Amino acid sequence: MTEEHLLKGWEEFEAGALLFSFEGDPSQRKFHENNSIHHSVADWRVLKPVFNEELCIHCQFCWVFCPDTSIIPKDKKFGEIDYVHCKGCGICSDVCPTNPKSLVMFANQTPIEEALRNWPAKDEKKKENSDG
Amino acid sequence: MAKQHRVVWDGNMAASQAMRQAQIDVVAAYPITPSTPIVQNYSQFVADGEVEGEFVMVESEHSAMSACVGAAAGGGRVATATSSQGYALMVEVIYQASGMRLPIVMNVVNRALAAPLNIHGDHSDMYLGRDAGWINLVANNPQEAYDLCLCAFKIAEDMRVRLPVAVNQDGFLVSHTAEVGEHLEDADAYGFVGDYTAHNPMLDPAKPVTYGAQTEGEWHYEHKMRQNYALVNAVPVVEEVLKAYSQLSGRDYAPVECYQTEDADELIICMGSVVGTTTMTVDRLRKAGRKVGMVAIRLWRPFPKEALAAAIKNAKSIAVLDRSCPMGTTGALYNETAAVMVENDKSANLINYIYGLGGRDTTTEHLEGIFDDAAECTKAGKRVKPIIQTINLRGKSLSFYE
Amino acid sequence: MGEIKQIKNLKEFSTSVERFQGGHRLCPGCSHSIIVREIVNATEDDLCISTATGCLEVCSTIYPFTSWDVSWIHIGFENAAAAISGTEAMHKALARKKKGYSDKPMKFIAFAGDGGTYDIGFQSLSGAVERGHDFMYVCLDNEGYMNTGGQRSSSTPVGGATTTSPAGRVSYGEKMQKKDMTAIMAAHRCQYVAQVAPSSWKDLVKKAQKAYQTPGATYINAMSPCPTEWKFDPSMSMEVSKVMVDSCVCPLYEIEYDPQTHNYKYTVNYEPKNKLPVKEYMALQGRFKHLFKPEFSHVIDQWQRDIDAQWDYIRRRQDAGV
Ligand SMILES: Cc1ncc(C[n+]2csc(CCOP(=O)(O)OP(=O)(O)O)c2C)c(N)n1
Ligand code: SF4
Ligand code: SF4
Repeated sequence: MTEEHLLKGWEEFEAGALLFSFEGDPSQRKFHENNSIHHSVADWRVLKPVFNEELCIHCQFCWVFCPDTSIIPKDKKFGEIDYVHCKGCGICSDVCPTNPKSLVMFANQTPIEEALRNWPAKDEKKKENSDG
Repeated sequence: MAKQHRVVWDGNMAASQAMRQAQIDVVAAYPITPSTPIVQNYSQFVADGEVEGEFVMVESEHSAMSACVGAAAGGGRVATATSSQGYALMVEVIYQASGMRLPIVMNVVNRALAAPLNIHGDHSDMYLGRDAGWINLVANNPQEAYDLCLCAFKIAEDMRVRLPVAVNQDGFLVSHTAEVGEHLEDADAYGFVGDYTAHNPMLDPAKPVTYGAQTEGEWHYEHKMRQNYALVNAVPVVEEVLKAYSQLSGRDYAPVECYQTEDADELIICMGSVVGTTTMTVDRLRKAGRKVGMVAIRLWRPFPKEALAAAIKNAKSIAVLDRSCPMGTTGALYNETAAVMVENDKSANLINYIYGLGGRDTTTEHLEGIFDDAAECTKAGKRVKPIIQTINLRGKSLSFYE
Repeated sequence: MGEIKQIKNLKEFSTSVERFQGGHRLCPGCSHSIIVREIVNATEDDLCISTATGCLEVCSTIYPFTSWDVSWIHIGFENAAAAISGTEAMHKALARKKKGYSDKPMKFIAFAGDGGTYDIGFQSLSGAVERGHDFMYVCLDNEGYMNTGGQRSSSTPVGGATTTSPAGRVSYGEKMQKKDMTAIMAAHRCQYVAQVAPSSWKDLVKKAQKAYQTPGATYINAMSPCPTEWKFDPSMSMEVSKVMVDSCVCPLYEIEYDPQTHNYKYTVNYEPKNKLPVKEYMALQGRFKHLFKPEFSHVIDQWQRDIDAQWDYIRRRQDAGV
């Protein structure tokens, strides 16, 4: 997939095919148009993780093990899911220690409310796991 | 003009001294005959505290050029030296250096490529890197090896260029032949080269940068053409730098150098140490009343097409010397010359000589023979010699493309 | 030397300013990016990184996008170590000349796959480490050339089916033993080498921080479960990683070399309470599926003996203190 606005003429690119991460001072975190944060991989997704706030213990396993930097924490708590970069791998749901899980994979087109209504029940066979 | 000092230096020492004077930040290198003395001389400068930069004695030429690329992207002045097999091992990475637009300077002491193994001079390595996107200068004696190495930094680092530069010199005939020459004082030499201008340095945390991305179908062509644009347009910058250097040193250089060409009927076009021998041959034949001349290519890439067209405009027969086996076609310098002739509607009898492979001698007698062939063509008003001939080759006379 | 970033627990770690962005093109569930995030987010110092050709490189810098928020370079497949050695040398030179771009500490990392480490990049790695450049080399070890479609490398374990060591009517797949790269790097007298797995995040972060603080070259062998070529569901990456650790297929250990005494100190960082049979690890992955046929059961038995012996050996070194 090509972002049309980046298709410039030969004379307009940075010489040497260099790419930059930020516009200006990095501490301001204004991402350069070449930062992949501007590139969506949402169309890779078949399943999507849905988050259930009621159950979460904010352990951050999902954050540390997300390969796509798509669990965005906020003040040491679960913040939000970045559905632009999530590819739906399901790791976050797999590592989530709560029972029932606080992150569950649903078909990508399922509306969030519907997913929350259909949340799985507690798995009685499974003992809590929190050793990461 | 700046003050100069007389010395007796061979080409390797001349290049090493220019490297020392340029105050390089990182040299990463690996020894190989005949450029080994450059690496050794530089090691001695480091051991004597004459160099403030880093000297990285890597484990191969591949790593030498890789470390040079990493260092140059880091943001500072970088140089190395190599020859032949070492150059061949670097090839993958010399394309990366130019593709990333890194102003690395490399002294290439030209030597044959195996097999069969041979440690002596020819231009096989220089020709191997022909399309790699480096600016290639050719030094024909130790003095030029010194002068052009200093110029190379200034050309490479010019913001209009930002491309790597190779300074070629013939193995042994230049690299190991001590000649009287002159050099600038350290301060003048450094003053000429100037401080390094940073451009997108990796080491600047204020602007993180990615070097070496993968450019697929929609991008690659644009990037390569931009690189080629910079290379083609480096010719005037090269001329400008050579001119500035001549004002400082009194030694004149040009992308194409003409010797007795104005009224010459027969010309030899060549590069490297054979230029000196050819000059002597021209002098000798001129004394005998022959209208002969020589064109020496100083700038091999980007190829100075306009200057060559002007240099050959009056010639009736042109002999082009290639010091590398063309393997299945005509020599590369011959091909360049033929292209320039076609582009300029220039007709002349054009012949090609493959000479000096693996350090084989080429004498004034051989060169006289070449001028004689050219003169025969002039007299006949057409090419009466095979397109490719060999010089000083034992066995049955061998030529190609009658 | 920079301050060590305080990371007592995951909550604290989660406040990190992210340095590797999403939008890259690694497969869903790829462990490479998990390892990379754990490493680059373990420090706040400025970073310069080189990466060898391979999945991580190809997928994180497809023009016109980069996923790196720090300076990064890729040259080729075999020269990640040589490349970063040049950048590190430039850093030293400019600092000496008082021409540096910044006074803050700068750390250098090279990432490469097992192909770029065990095989084609071995020479350049050996050279850069021997020269004592101050950098951390991280091998993302997924036991094969995955970027080019899962060919064998000298890290592929016995019995693993790859596209160039396939299982067939008469072959059980890879025949050669996996190279002991960690020991080879210890033998270079690196002051610090370690093996890590992404599921053991705390161990990994601690080791990365130790490597950042250790002068000279350090080596981390990061085992990297690859859903695509190991053939398991992408959601299972951390499960596979855990079983890999708990079966001692990937022992978590470190070797510290003392330049004064020339002693190699082995430390086992994790002893599974309940050591799992290798069969359980193998059963999770399609690449070992064929070994469960009766005619190849001897391969699994041999695996168990090899893993037990290796585990035993590391612990004996630890206990002997040499
Ligand atoms: C000199 C060279 N040879 C071969 C290749 C092709 N190639 C690119 S990546 C790769 C495999 C990478 O494997 P590995 O280092 O294990 O990393 P992974 O992709 O598995 O993470 C190969 C064979 C290349 N790019 N350069
Ligand atoms: S892994 Fe589960 S419990 Fe832990 S922070 Fe993520 S959603 Fe919450
Ligand atoms: S092939 Fe394996 S290592 Fe490569 S991107 Fe996919 S999951 Fe990651």
